[in-house]
Amino acid sequence: MFKHILLPVDGSDLSLHAVRLGVELAKTCGARVYALHVVAPFHTIAYMAEMLAATEVVYTKDAIVRARQYIAEVQRIAAEAGIECAGSYVFDDHPHEAILATAREQHCDLVVMASHGWRGFTRLLLGSEVHKVLLKSEIPVLVCR
Amino acid sequence: MFKHLLLPVDGSELSLRAVDRGIALAATLGARIHALHVLPPFAAATYFAAIAQADETIYVERALARAECILGEVRHRAQAAGVACESSHEIDGRPYCAIAAAVSKYHCDMIVMATHGRHGIEKLLLGSVTQKVLLLAEVPVLVCH
Repeated sequence: MFKHILLPVDGSDLSLHAVRLGVELAKTCGARVYALHVVAPFHTIAYMAEMLAATEVVYTKDAIVRARQYIAEVQRIAAEAGIECAGSYVFDDHPHEAILATAREQHCDLVVMASHGWRGFTRLLLGSEVHKVLLKSEIPVLVCR
Repeated sequence: MFKHLLLPVDGSELSLRAVDRGIALAATLGARIHALHVLPPFAAATYFAAIAQADETIYVERALARAECILGEVRHRAQAAGVACESSHEIDGRPYCAIAAAVSKYHCDMIVMATHGRHGIEKLLLGSVTQKVLLLAEVPVLVCH
């Protein structure tokens, strides 16, 4: 069945819940997992660039620290289940594109993700990133509550 | 892990592909499946009631025969894969409600379905039924392509 499962995480509780489900599924299928965190790049307005340049360095540094924590958290959950888990973070304005690109690069055959992340309205709307992944994905997507 | 998968089918090529995926997953997980076909009720305009009544019998008869044919196909495929399979049909104008209701009725813990069925515009939009199931469902949904 599934051999390599992509687990995108944004650090929210919902995304970690999806990770646990994905890891459990991987264990049952004898699959590997791949953790991915997509970081929104820092946006500057052209004027004030000098002032913001300093801020950007701080932002990027913080974002990378957070990204590493999220991936480490997934790897910890995977290790507890005895599952092989690689991971990476990537800077992209469009998380769904980064998710699908990673799925292709890593030859994943399933994406497991939460129905919404930080920005979603619980129960009312499907998260916009999930929606876009569902539309453009070539592999099955397991959407978790 | 997952023990009872709900496979809604509308008889379309895509839905049958999702069925194959669901059966393969069930085989890996050692799970049972429940195939569900939802048929829309006969919509009669009241001022044609006399004509419509005769038609309704024929409609229901044909719709049920078709449902049985589709569900039989799923049972056949499940049997070939050695997966325990039950099936049922529901008459409901809102398939997503029938699907969500079937989850609690049959105690399913996952839904496996296609991105869109008969009425979907391929690749442009997420099928409306799938979309609503994703919002309504209390269990994870595996969306197949």
